[in-house]
Amino acid sequence: MIEKGKIWKFSGVILIVYVIIAGLLIPLKPGIESVEPSYGNAGETLKIQVTGYNTHFKEAGNSLRAWLKWDNGKAIAATEMVALDERRMNLTFSIPNNLPENTEVQAVTLLIDSETDGTSVLPSAIFLTQTEEVIAAEEVPWVKPANFSNNGMITFPFRNILGETIRNTYFHVPLWFGMMFLFLFAVIHSIKYLRKGDAESDLKAEAYTQTGIIYGLLGLITGALWAKNTWGAYWSWDIKQNMTVVALLIYAAYFILRASFEDPEKRARVCAAYGIFAFSTLIPLLYVIPRLTDSLHPGSGGNPAFGSQDLDNTMRMVFYPAVIGFTLFGFWLSSLQFRYLRLQKLREDLD
Amino acid sequence: MSRFLLIVLMSFFSIFSASAANADFMRSIGKIYVVVGVMLLLFLGITLYLILIDRRLTKFENQIKSDE
Repeated sequence: MIEKGKIWKFSGVILIVYVIIAGLLIPLKPGIESVEPSYGNAGETLKIQVTGYNTHFKEAGNSLRAWLKWDNGKAIAATEMVALDERRMNLTFSIPNNLPENTEVQAVTLLIDSETDGTSVLPSAIFLTQTEEVIAAEEVPWVKPANFSNNGMITFPFRNILGETIRNTYFHVPLWFGMMFLFLFAVIHSIKYLRKGDAESDLKAEAYTQTGIIYGLLGLITGALWAKNTWGAYWSWDIKQNMTVVALLIYAAYFILRASFEDPEKRARVCAAYGIFAFSTLIPLLYVIPRLTDSLHPGSGGNPAFGSQDLDNTMRMVFYPAVIGFTLFGFWLSSLQFRYLRLQKLREDLD
Repeated sequence: MSRFLLIVLMSFFSIFSASAANADFMRSIGKIYVVVGVMLLLFLGITLYLILIDRRLTKFENQIKSDE
């Protein structure tokens, strides 16, 4: 039914359909959305209200356990747990008189574990203050959180600031991967043109570059919408954002250059050389400079984007197909553009 | 054609202005509407590109017709 030469277009679309379905339907892992209040003092009986996301506090019943854990591994268990509903729970902790670290203010991690939801973690959930006066030592019932439950569900990770927007990993990030592949193919065809002088290679380079820019622009605006709701502003003048705009402007100049030549052969030659130059600036602009300084964007400021922090195995099952799918789709769009350019050239040659 | 282009462009802006005017809505239910917005922008962007190719082809077709 489908011609052999069209299988790759078809599989690109199938992959994107899979990505949309799996990327939207797989639930987020239960997590801790917020804790109120988020501060306390040494020696007091601290009562906090926890708001969860996708949690089942009532259903979990007796299997619920909660700890406050210090960075040095010491932890105390909750003395009282009252589930108000599936998403809200009151916890009571008796904070020791002498906190286990030497600083005045200490951040503790909240851990909640239950058979229905598995383990949820909120780092720096509560800031505890200890005054300088020396208080008599006491017996603190330190515990070591252990025997974590695993509810065996297939889920995406819960990240406090991201929430459901972690799913944008399948729609925003593959655009950039797709753009890289498109620009890579453009540069391959530019080199091919310079070596063999085949006019079709020049048109292919133009078509790939054009689709690549479209992908880049889409990546920028989807990124801006995502940034508004996680970083707080559409544009934070972040190094990654700025360098991306610079890279896209360098590519935009490619088309200005194309339009400024009358002689097709001269145009093809100069533009092929410029295409190679543009691609060689892309890697440092997008992947080297942002890593050298601080950035809000993952994969910059020294932190690699593909650590286990950002992408777990379930996400990989959706993310890699998304990259392949969007890349194939980009090739399809480029091929339409190329066929149009080829037709136009044919007609010009006939005249 | 240009009217259609205008509608697509307006939808672009409405997504952004809706998210700016009503941050509470965008951030409800674990910020799921941000994902919806991103997917919409993606679809509109690709549609815009297709419109571009469509227009060029139409122009090309008309040229060929006038040649004959």
